Amino acid sequence: MMDKGSELRREGDWAVLRIWGEVDLSWSQDVRRQVLEAYAKAKWLAVQLDGVSYIDSSGIAALVEGFQHARSKGGRFALLAPSEAVRAVLELARLDRVFPIFADLDAARAG
Amino acid sequence: MSAPPLLRIDFAARAESLADVRAAVQRALATQHVDARAAARIVLAIDEACANIIRHAYRGCGDGHIALRIERRRGVLRFRLRDRAPAVDPGCVKPRDLSECRPGGLGINIIDDTMDHWRLRPLKHRCGNVLTMVRRLHARKA
Repeated sequence: MMDKGSELRREGDWAVLRIWGEVDLSWSQDVRRQVLEAYAKAKWLAVQLDGVSYIDSSGIAALVEGFQHARSKGGRFALLAPSEAVRAVLELARLDRVFPIFADLDAARAG
Repeated sequence: MSAPPLLRIDFAARAESLADVRAAVQRALATQHVDARAAARIVLAIDEACANIIRHAYRGCGDGHIALRIERRRGVLRFRLRDRAPAVDPGCVKPRDLSECRPGGLGINIIDDTMDHWRLRPLKHRCGNVLTMVRRLHARKA
């Protein structure tokens, strides 16, 4: 597996974008584009973050844009299994209280 | 005579430089036995500071350089970032209200929360800015 990357899959009503590696300024614009483009596949989007070893505020901004897009279109947005590195930055930005965060897609479906 | 710096590097003001900078800072902190959680926060804060210089001071033009110096004086780590970008108004650089959910602008909050104090100073007679950040190693939560 490459040291960073992403893959998009469709699971029923959900598009699931899995991201792994270090999300910093060198890559976050691409992640942002992928998050927004994923809404073309499905109305609901989950971003799986268990493989993200580092994220900075530019990566968090890409997630915020995805969340805001869902809210403006009446869709759903969820974060799945954020790694400890992601959780730490979400807590620092107080976004752990804002984003819907679930252990997996089944939990997001039920949530 | 002051102790030699823990780290002194000069790198291109490009996003592609950041991974190497993070690794170098991580190694420097490891030599001082900074605990993992605190080290992760410090690395993040320095990354955010560098990213701000790249995006806002140099405006992403990619031709500039950044010099980073880390030194330890007793129980205090001092981080100094120097750029040669046009002067930045320090009054415009401040943490934002985190109750607003919007993309962007979190970098200063992260620096502010991680460091015990910091100061941005435009150079008076030369092009450039100096950001100095200070973090005590003990008696502080990560």
